[in-house]
Amino acid sequence: MIPVPFDYQAPATLDEAVSLLAADPDGAKVLAGGHSLIPAMKLRLAQPQMLVDIARIKSLSYIREEGNQILIGATTTHYQLESSDLLKQICPLLPACAKSIGDVQVRNKGTIGGSIAHSDPAGDWPAAVLALNADLVLVGPGGERVVKAADFFVDLLTTDLQPGEILREIRIEKPSGRFGQAYQKVPHPASGFAVVGIAVQIALNDDGSCKAAQIGVTGVGPKAYRAQATEAALAGSSLDEQIVSSAATHVCDGVDPNADLYASAEYRCHLAQVHARRGIQAAKASVK
Amino acid sequence: MKLEGTHELEATRERVYQSLVNPEVLQRCIPGCERLERTGDNTFAATIRAGVGSIKGVFEGNVQLEDLREPEHFRMVVNGKGAPGFLKGSGDLELLQEGAITKVKYAGDVQVGGTIASVGQRMIQGTAKMMAAQFFTCLGAEAKAAPGEPPPKQGFFRNALRWFSGWIKSIFRK
Repeated sequence: MIPVPFDYQAPATLDEAVSLLAADPDGAKVLAGGHSLIPAMKLRLAQPQMLVDIARIKSLSYIREEGNQILIGATTTHYQLESSDLLKQICPLLPACAKSIGDVQVRNKGTIGGSIAHSDPAGDWPAAVLALNADLVLVGPGGERVVKAADFFVDLLTTDLQPGEILREIRIEKPSGRFGQAYQKVPHPASGFAVVGIAVQIALNDDGSCKAAQIGVTGVGPKAYRAQATEAALAGSSLDEQIVSSAATHVCDGVDPNADLYASAEYRCHLAQVHARRGIQAAKASVK
Repeated sequence: MKLEGTHELEATRERVYQSLVNPEVLQRCIPGCERLERTGDNTFAATIRAGVGSIKGVFEGNVQLEDLREPEHFRMVVNGKGAPGFLKGSGDLELLQEGAITKVKYAGDVQVGGTIASVGQRMIQGTAKMMAAQFFTCLGAEAKAAPGEPPPKQGFFRNALRWFSGWIKSIFRK
């Protein structure tokens, strides 16, 4: 449980962090909350030569409303998101998702940016940012670029983040009109990770029918994904019980579900279907 | 843990088979393979740096090919160990020619133990599938190149990954 020796740098600004990382893009690793990286280092499964600690860069931790967007700094902790009164009002999916993560200690240190950049197949935030169709702002030696959440998650623990780049900000379009959101999760009893996690946002027309549904799924496949078949089955529908149940059965379409000691592929897909249904119903019930 | 899958390669069965038992091609195509040496008629020793994201480990192991029936079948027995844990297993590969396409079907059973199994258990299968997809994509390109032609350049994994994942999805949809 002792990591191999490594260098540690705690830059005061993001620019400094980017240049430290650029000096050794393959050997250096960004440290935020450290709740995935540090355990992996202690088990020597990860052996970076240098850690660039961005958790101390004050300007990276914020939750702001700007025009029709919600801006979230990458090192904002799960607890800050869970307890944000602003988010509870304008985008309750985010606090709901934050609340479901790990335990108090984890939420107090772990960050939204770290979770997204790590892309754990059972991480909660990837499902939420997919359902909210977030933009992710990445900064590297060549400047900034913006990637849609749907394009960011590439494969198991693999993202579009290039060596030398840092995830700086999460941008979410403020939900408007009649909308409902929910995060529905089956946590692993030991780790709290999502065996399945379903993030739902639905927008309703004035007559109560479904205008659009956005559903992010985590825990099921090698990476989080949008349940497009389920979304398509809901769009334009009346969202009555039968339609919701039948749409939810498509939640693992096109995905080869993970299997591990806790849940077989069949069981995991079944859980996802049941919880997709409950998630959609909960989102519908939350519409004001 | 059971591992199985099918990959389609655009080359004749003979060429795919030859590539699969050619240590030079294997070294280029096995993700993270740093060394692959022939130690006997059908035995090889390998050093593989395997991993995804920030999780990595070096494995030393040997591979034995059995029950060779060119060009349609062989059996592979693998033994490996490294700091993060050990793995051993065996699997059968079947090659089926369908027109210009060769289908490679593999089915095997792998045991993984040690640190990587106790903490990474939930990710082992995903990692194995991802590595298999990388391997067969590379092998397809190698087998497709005409004899004597230089093999395609390697080291494009990061960019190619996005394409791989789309490709994996298209396979699983079938």
